[in-house]
Amino acid sequence: MQARNAGWWALLMPAFLLLTVFYIAPILQVLSISFTEPELGFGNYERILTNRSVQRTLSTTGRIAGITTVLALVLGYAIAYSVTMASERARRWWILCVLVPLWISVLVRAFAWVTLLRRQGLINEALIGMGTIQEPLELVWNEFGIIVGMVHYMVPYAVLPMLSAMRDIDPRLMTAARGMGASRWTVFSRVFFPLSLPGVLAAAVLTFILSLGFYVTPAILGGGKTLMVAEWISVQILDLIRWGFGTMMATVLIVTILVTLGVFSRIVNMRRLFGGGH
Amino acid sequence: MLQSFQQDCIALLREKLAKGQIDRRQLMAGLAALGVAPAAGAQAQGTRDIVMVNWGGLANQGFGQFYGDPFSAANPGYRVVQDSTGPSVGRIRSMVESRRVTWDVCDSSATGAVLLGGLGMAEKIDYSVVKREDAIGPTFTMEYGVAPYSFSSVLVYDSSKFPTAPTSWADFWDLRKFPGKRLLRRDATCVLEAASMSLGKPLNAVYPIDTRGALSQVEKIRRDCVYWNGGAESEQFIRTGEAVMGQIWHTRASVLQRESNGRFKFIWNQGILQPGIQVVPKGNPAGAAVQRFLASMMANADGQVGLLGLLGNGPTNPNAASRVPAELKQFNPTDPANAALQVPLDGNWWGANYQRVNQDFLDTVTG
Repeated sequence: MQARNAGWWALLMPAFLLLTVFYIAPILQVLSISFTEPELGFGNYERILTNRSVQRTLSTTGRIAGITTVLALVLGYAIAYSVTMASERARRWWILCVLVPLWISVLVRAFAWVTLLRRQGLINEALIGMGTIQEPLELVWNEFGIIVGMVHYMVPYAVLPMLSAMRDIDPRLMTAARGMGASRWTVFSRVFFPLSLPGVLAAAVLTFILSLGFYVTPAILGGGKTLMVAEWISVQILDLIRWGFGTMMATVLIVTILVTLGVFSRIVNMRRLFGGGH
Repeated sequence: MLQSFQQDCIALLREKLAKGQIDRRQLMAGLAALGVAPAAGAQAQGTRDIVMVNWGGLANQGFGQFYGDPFSAANPGYRVVQDSTGPSVGRIRSMVESRRVTWDVCDSSATGAVLLGGLGMAEKIDYSVVKREDAIGPTFTMEYGVAPYSFSSVLVYDSSKFPTAPTSWADFWDLRKFPGKRLLRRDATCVLEAASMSLGKPLNAVYPIDTRGALSQVEKIRRDCVYWNGGAESEQFIRTGEAVMGQIWHTRASVLQRESNGRFKFIWNQGILQPGIQVVPKGNPAGAAVQRFLASMMANADGQVGLLGLLGNGPTNPNAASRVPAELKQFNPTDPANAALQVPLDGNWWGANYQRVNQDFLDTVTG
């Protein structure tokens, strides 16, 4: 038994060493700047408690990521449910439609939303043309625009874990419930929904974590009025060269993500997130 | 692609050079023995590269044609190479700190020169080689950088939206008389100058900036503003009607005015005239030769006028303004008539205050 295990470890070693040397070590080196600059100690981390700018960036990021997660889950649940209930042939087409947006660059998608949402964009022009509104609506260069862009990006990530959870549900359970006289709503709310919850939770974790680190979408659709963590870090590192301050925020982001993953891995089967399924 | 043995020999020679096991002459002899012709990036046959880093777009062509080529022609053996990866101060710092400097001249800013100089990450300008009298003013010759071109942040507006034309930053801040969205750069530089002037500060009393007063002025209109990060973006905001009045670079404003046949107009009055400061990272590969290149860019009035024609960057050589063709004069920020209306940026004030003030500015506009 021992010898067999040693064999597996030997196989893992090259990848492990590669990751440690070229990925983990440099990241730790960069993050350590947050403890050494401008002076040795926890000065940068103190500012989480004292600095208004840091607090606002963190709360803005948390708020936008939270709203995005909720909306992506609601939309994604509806899609995943329809796909699960569809015929085998239709299901393949549905899944393709969910996947296609994943292959389009995030930059292209953000600019596409600008074209749709701006003052002289398709939506405003159409509404004005129909006489519904007189003045163009402010659909972009604010948090609304950011959330539209981010939800659009996140829906496929929400659909996939939920779809895999829903397809694991034995359809005979629903048939049995119907046979015993339950209404359609009762079947859904008492049988199907509770069984799909692990998938919902997994999707929530994935969407929330990805939303925390968004850079391009808020930068383009926010009109410069909203700073999320990723862009805030970039300003500190590239323009203000306050590396200690910037890497502090990077550390906070990484720790938040690891803690979220740690907490939820006790509740949800994390393999579902990364495509393991069963 | 599979590496040939010869390629590996060349690689090995370069490694030895890097480790100091052989010197450059031995490298050249070795390369010659291997029958290597000078290729891109190779410094064979004594050609020395000066790497100039810009922010992309037409700058690659313009800087090569009007700065690089004249220098190479006058100094055989030197070749000026353009790199458009964007030399932000953060990237220069990381390059200098890791002691792998591959850039010689970086298209930075007055603030960048002071910040990097203060950190010991920029080479001083050698004013025994570069001539101060080759620049029209002290704005363009700093301790850690010189400016072979200038640009300005000007007021641009959509003339179809207003019966009377705005003439000052006071009008820019007057949302009642000139209703509509405003456009500002998401950076405190120049915005705070404009805010100060909107409060009635005359051109010669803008510095030192009353940051508290200027920031509260920004606070007043921040909800009626959109903010740009890149030049192309700023042009797009005005062109598509997202904003009716803005503070943008004169190069973009000139394009808007020309292409819209005068629907979009800009004014030089109370513009902020800035130096296009070139910075040399500490320990640059070309060494002291870069000072001669800087001197050549500063002295080359005709090249600077050529660049004005291509990109719109204003010349800084005192002999240049009179050589500008008549139809271009109205677009030249350093034309004496236009320069008199603007306030020259105080790079030293910004260098000393940028980190703090720009953070406060970002907090104000994102609040």
